[in-house]
Amino acid sequence: MISKENVFGEFVREKRLALHQEDKNYSLRKVAMRIQVEPSYLSKVERGEQPPPSEAKIVLLAEDLGEDKDVLLALSGKVSSDIQEVIRKRPALFAQLIRDLKDMPDNAVLRIIREVRDGNW
Amino acid sequence: MTMIELMNDSLCFSFPQVHPCAKLGISFIRTLRIPDDGAAYPNPPRLGAFPMVHVDDYESSVPAQWLEWGGVMLPMYQSEALLVQFDPGKTRYPFAVKLAAGKINALTGDAWTNDLTPHPQDYAVSPPQEEISGYCVGRGVVRQFIAMPLGLGSTAEEQLAGNPKYGGVQVCAYPMKAEAFERFSKSPDEFEVMTGVNEEQAPFHAKMGLGLGGLLGQNVKLDPFGYDVWDRQNRSRCFVHLTDSALWTAITGQDPPVAPPRAMHYNLAGLPYHEEIYAPTPVHEGSRILEKLRTIETQAGD
Repeated sequence: MISKENVFGEFVREKRLALHQEDKNYSLRKVAMRIQVEPSYLSKVERGEQPPPSEAKIVLLAEDLGEDKDVLLALSGKVSSDIQEVIRKRPALFAQLIRDLKDMPDNAVLRIIREVRDGNW
Repeated sequence: MTMIELMNDSLCFSFPQVHPCAKLGISFIRTLRIPDDGAAYPNPPRLGAFPMVHVDDYESSVPAQWLEWGGVMLPMYQSEALLVQFDPGKTRYPFAVKLAAGKINALTGDAWTNDLTPHPQDYAVSPPQEEISGYCVGRGVVRQFIAMPLGLGSTAEEQLAGNPKYGGVQVCAYPMKAEAFERFSKSPDEFEVMTGVNEEQAPFHAKMGLGLGGLLGQNVKLDPFGYDVWDRQNRSRCFVHLTDSALWTAITGQDPPVAPPRAMHYNLAGLPYHEEIYAPTPVHEGSRILEKLRTIETQAGD
């Protein structure tokens, strides 16, 4: 069974190597330098020998590789702090909503019902 | 869960907790203004639905009070009128609908309440009612809903309540009780007569409020089902704010998505077009200082 660390590491390694074929600036050392980690650490992350880095480093890595930060965070088993903040405001509602959406097809998920809000008048 | 969705510029009311068929669409349709000359006119041509947006989408630019009142907003020109159109869909599930402008009931002239009143009936029933084009001012006639800026004393709200506090349009829908719907549905012929399925079509084809325009021939039908069938515990209501084009642009940062009707539209409909009323151009008030100066002619007379 592939651990989530490996899923994240393999995804990052695959994307970085694809970019490296076109652009030598995507070597392990140069990417590590841009996101301000040691090359050996990034190498271990890619090989699944270290857990994924912090949210801030993952966001930097996503920006560097041109990937969606939420996808990378999800692969690392994390949820971005802004989404956590949204959920914290109405945790029961969002937990139920996500469970309800779990098995829905994409086209159904895309059409989220939005209610017209009635106020105090 | 009761809900109103905004879909294709229509307010879609649904009450799945009452009945799966309990759905009603309400649209606000642009029409031309008819003359206010004492004659009762047929419905003028329709120009499509007013575009509507959630006020919550413009949280930083709408007046603060609008956020408190919630709802949607639409842009309305003074050269156009508004009619409220009901779309009961295929199931034709009956609803009682209260309609007000500036929180003045459009059928009775009474101040807004959240409940239904049977005498005098302060709600329309759709089906069979298909639309309401104005304030109900007599048997078979309504005075067209026309856009007027708040503050001029022209809206029904200002004439009756004294101050331009609310403006806009307010709607509230009450579904028929499920057991009543099932009961009526078991006698389809009777239901069709009541809801008018087989009825022939009528022969006629800054912040804003709604003033009273010309007379339109339109029957506002009495409740064919009886007051007790309405589920008054399950209601859903919406505040529809009206803006002129300048306020719409100030709030949204964009011009209104539809252009105002022009003289051509009126000419094609055989209706008079009053440039000064419908498309007023601001004019300078003149200078009080210059006004007092004497002309060459008067000076020459000294």
